[in-house]
Amino acid sequence: MAMDSDVSLQPPEIGEHIPPEMAFEWARESVREKDWSMAARRWAMLRKVYPDEPTTWFQAVHAHLEAGELDAAESLLVLARDRFPNQPYAKIQPAHLAMKREQWDHAKEILEQLRVECPLNPHTWTSLAALSAHDGDFEAESQYLWKAAECTPNQPGFYIQFAESAMNAEHYEEAAKRWAILRERFPELPIGYRRGAAAARATGDYDAARHLLLTHQYGDAFVEELADQDFPNVADTRSPLNKLLGLVWIKALYNLRSEVRRNYLSFTWWIIEPLMYMGIYMLVFDVLLTRGGENYSILLMTGLIPWMWTMKSIGTSSTSILQGQQLMLQTGVQPIFFPLVMLLQTALKQIPVYILLTGFVWLNGNPPGMHWFALAPVILVHALFTSAASLAIAAAIPFFRDLTILVPTGLTLLMFLSGIFYDYSVIDERWHSVFLLNPVAYLIMCYREIFIDHTVPDLLALSWRGGVCAVLCGVLLMVYKKLRYVYPRVVME
Amino acid sequence: MTTSEPLISMIDVGIRDKRKGNVFKRPSYFDALKSINLEIKPGESLGILGRNGAGKSTLLRVLSGILRPDRGTMINNGHSVSLLSLQAGFDPVLTGRENAVLSGMLQGLSRREVTSRLDEIHEYSEIGDFFDEPVRTYSTGMGTRLGFSIARITSPDVLLIDEVLSVGDQEFRKKSERTLAKRIRSGQAVVLVTHSLAQSQVLCDRIVRIEDGVIREDEQ
Repeated sequence: MAMDSDVSLQPPEIGEHIPPEMAFEWARESVREKDWSMAARRWAMLRKVYPDEPTTWFQAVHAHLEAGELDAAESLLVLARDRFPNQPYAKIQPAHLAMKREQWDHAKEILEQLRVECPLNPHTWTSLAALSAHDGDFEAESQYLWKAAECTPNQPGFYIQFAESAMNAEHYEEAAKRWAILRERFPELPIGYRRGAAAARATGDYDAARHLLLTHQYGDAFVEELADQDFPNVADTRSPLNKLLGLVWIKALYNLRSEVRRNYLSFTWWIIEPLMYMGIYMLVFDVLLTRGGENYSILLMTGLIPWMWTMKSIGTSSTSILQGQQLMLQTGVQPIFFPLVMLLQTALKQIPVYILLTGFVWLNGNPPGMHWFALAPVILVHALFTSAASLAIAAAIPFFRDLTILVPTGLTLLMFLSGIFYDYSVIDERWHSVFLLNPVAYLIMCYREIFIDHTVPDLLALSWRGGVCAVLCGVLLMVYKKLRYVYPRVVME
Repeated sequence: MTTSEPLISMIDVGIRDKRKGNVFKRPSYFDALKSINLEIKPGESLGILGRNGAGKSTLLRVLSGILRPDRGTMINNGHSVSLLSLQAGFDPVLTGRENAVLSGMLQGLSRREVTSRLDEIHEYSEIGDFFDEPVRTYSTGMGTRLGFSIARITSPDVLLIDEVLSVGDQEFRKKSERTLAKRIRSGQAVVLVTHSLAQSQVLCDRIVRIEDGVIREDEQ
């Protein structure tokens, strides 16, 4: 028979040595899955092994009824009733059969009789409730289901049915009350919380729903403790600019701290590095090419140190927005934050280097005088130019990434055209005005006028250059503001 | 109850991402969000479910104001919104304490406020003496704990959370989930992106499912 080859119909080892209730689990598995035909077949097989167990008969009838196999159910029910006339199911199942056949009057007749004969059987009341549900009488249905629940106060099944009937009828407020009864009697059952939350949500009481789910998940004590929780939403009174500058300052300081901790020689690298560059240029131009001349070391240092400030600022800022992509998309920090941090970080590193420069110049026979006060405007204009150039390149690179490759080349060209390791006076005088259009060349000339020539640079010429750089910085700040929401998109491309 | 005016409204919001081209290839475009209609109400906890690449993270970035939509309308009447970010801006060479200050400030807090709550961060993170050690010496779990401990002290009107509760060791995951539950219970609006339907059912009033940049289901 095909049926016998069906693996799902191969019973576990059953027989006299296995308690019937254990063997019945095999059929109940199908019942739980609501595979009623399979359940009926399994009960049929079990019936052969346990013919004296009423469950194998009446559960099979129930399975046939649920599967819609009404004739099979009726035939089996006749046999079962003959065999077990006093079983409660023997009296109730004819009513179920009648209801399935939509013989409502006949079903009612049977159940009215049962009401008198078997008032303590919960199935009497659930069957009456089913009849009332068919009549659309929610109140009667509720009364019968409550009676069923009260028949077995230690079993949650009928309380659940009681609450579910209100859910099905969409009486959610009533359902919420019934789930509360279930929770009170069976606090360990998750369904009371889950379905109770569903009922509360259906009434629009999200707070109660959340409370129930949290209680279910974390327990009563935890939820009680929540009442005392306070998460103050502290109003931030700082202006966005204040916020940004505070953040730039801290990030630059911490970057320096991090840099210092990475190397054994710590911050001394800030001084060693320019000295190393100086050593290289001295070796090439002064020793090997013998093009240095008198005081070449001072000439070189007054050119190299300001240049390194500009070069490092532009170099580190140029790709800073691209490198900050993750942080920008994580925290929404403004794109200008990244080049500003690099600018400040590089500028702070220049402080000991500039102290070294002034000390070196002084020790080489160029004592400080009133003309050194001119350093302040020169450094200011230098800072403005470096900022404008760095901000402009950093702003452009996310849009034109090929510029990343051109920046080092451009910086090398700028270095050769700025008179770092030579004095601009060595070039043809006709080209001087053109040469000094380069801001770096002009600034190096100013530094040398102060340190070597002991004079004050042309402050008027310096201030208009400073003015142009300041305007450029202002324009760039506006550009950054305008493109604030464009950068997060561009860096993602 | 969540019947008052929404904190944030998204009306027909769309985001079109560009895949950069080059001299040999034209750029291509991709609709990360197609048409999103969504409201976040005060005190509401909203769960967003969806597969990888469905547009969940993009949606959070739009909600947080990091990205502006290409089309549609996004209305936020001045409410603070914060995307809970773990280990935002962490520098592996700096100590846990220093990173806490930096990361807290990056998430919108003032230096004074973060500094005044450093003990709380230290205690919650349960990393003991490692708090004053460089973060590069931390295990992954310790880094996550510290990250969450910092993020939890922010308190915006709308808190956006992207899968962060699924990281870290199990014990700390439970602890962070409890903290989130407390936030929700305290009436803060929370948007939670998760793969776990069970988690969102416990924590959220409302769940939306996002697929191919469109909200497919919106159920309470």
